[in-house]
Amino acid sequence: MRNILYVFMLLFVFSSVQADAAENGPTDALRPVLNGLMEILADESLKGEKHLVQRRTEIMTTIEIGFNFREMSKRVLGKAWRTIDEQQKDYFTEQMTKLLENVYVGKLERYSDQSVEFVAEKIKGNRAQVTTFLVDQGIKLPVHYIMKEAGDRWMVYDINIEGVSLVRNYQQQFKSILRKEKFEGLIKVLEKKNKSF
Amino acid sequence: MNIIRFFVLVIVIFAGSGFSFAGDKSTEVVVPDFLTDDFLDDDFESDDEFVISDPLEPMNRFFFEFNDVLYEWAIKPVTDGYIWVLPRELRISFGNFFYNLAMPIRFLNLLLQGDLYGAGTVLSRFTINSTLGVYGLADVAAAEFHILPRHADFGQTLGKWGVNEGIYFCWPVFGPSSLRDSIGLAVDFYTHPVPYFHESTVLDFAYYVSYRVNTLSLNPDLYEDLKLFSLDPYIASRHAFIEYRKAVIERE
Repeated sequence: MRNILYVFMLLFVFSSVQADAAENGPTDALRPVLNGLMEILADESLKGEKHLVQRRTEIMTTIEIGFNFREMSKRVLGKAWRTIDEQQKDYFTEQMTKLLENVYVGKLERYSDQSVEFVAEKIKGNRAQVTTFLVDQGIKLPVHYIMKEAGDRWMVYDINIEGVSLVRNYQQQFKSILRKEKFEGLIKVLEKKNKSF
Repeated sequence: MNIIRFFVLVIVIFAGSGFSFAGDKSTEVVVPDFLTDDFLDDDFESDDEFVISDPLEPMNRFFFEFNDVLYEWAIKPVTDGYIWVLPRELRISFGNFFYNLAMPIRFLNLLLQGDLYGAGTVLSRFTINSTLGVYGLADVAAAEFHILPRHADFGQTLGKWGVNEGIYFCWPVFGPSSLRDSIGLAVDFYTHPVPYFHESTVLDFAYYVSYRVNTLSLNPDLYEDLKLFSLDPYIASRHAFIEYRKAVIERE
């Protein structure tokens, strides 16, 4: 009798731990962020060039819950990240966030009526890959979000489409600019790019 | 070359009687693993591992600019007109037709990769789409039978055999490629059925141009997005090409 009780207790403890882990998993961290993003994009009152500032503010507030822009910036810059001071790191992260806003959000804004399907999740240590389909007019585009656990939160630091990593793509471009024009030159190129959107 | 020609024709002719062993498995989603390498560990030790060999960069950059001019002055205006004239549904149908016709390339390469299941999928799709799909204009196999397309090309086959990409090339007109994939492209050209049905280079050229324009018309923003989003479009396209091809080779 006692043994059975013990087993039940163990089962209970185990199942509650399981449930906890599931609630804090990478997919659960990403789902509200992407759904929130889709809601804002579908909001008729926020559409058009006229509401750009308000829409972007709301989108970025939502996205920053689930996207770690500092981690992205660090990875994009690679070794050069170590050579710059705190202030430069902050400024670079700010410019990089702006660029990713223009690229990622700007692209999403041009789709109409899209939705997100969550397809799969892979976890390896403190990193995870959440595979989604971006569905637009019946066409499914696989988008993989690469996430890292910081503290007890899973946050996105890279987006992978058809095998091409967004962070690595920028890292490659920045590397050749850094070689020729150093960090100061890179910041200038970045500022100029952000102004062009 | 005559043997290959014969082989291709035989396959094209007899594909209609094809054997079908594609089941429900092909509808499953294949999720690639992008976690295998963390290209930047916390100690910044491994961020140099992704190296693309590009000794011809000055020449490649020249052809990249050449292609850019070609795009802005010829390809884009033609494609815009094409989009304006033809509705998207029709362009998708033409896309299906072109894709269906290139079946021998996928079939042969899946055989060379030892993927009998994949080759069977390709044949079943070709059979269904060429008949029920009216000359391949409709992708009935995917829509009704849930048999999803399987991609294969000779560059991929070489990659699966362990051949590295070699140096990077940006060809005039054809765009980004590598030594391995350029050879692949040349070989695939010989297994494409269209040149076997006539002797005219003009027709081949016309076919290639309509194929390119139609493909672009279904994704007209692709190149302009690349230019808009990148700080160095040449590097961005080079990296995207190499990583995309890596993923194509590593897939299942």
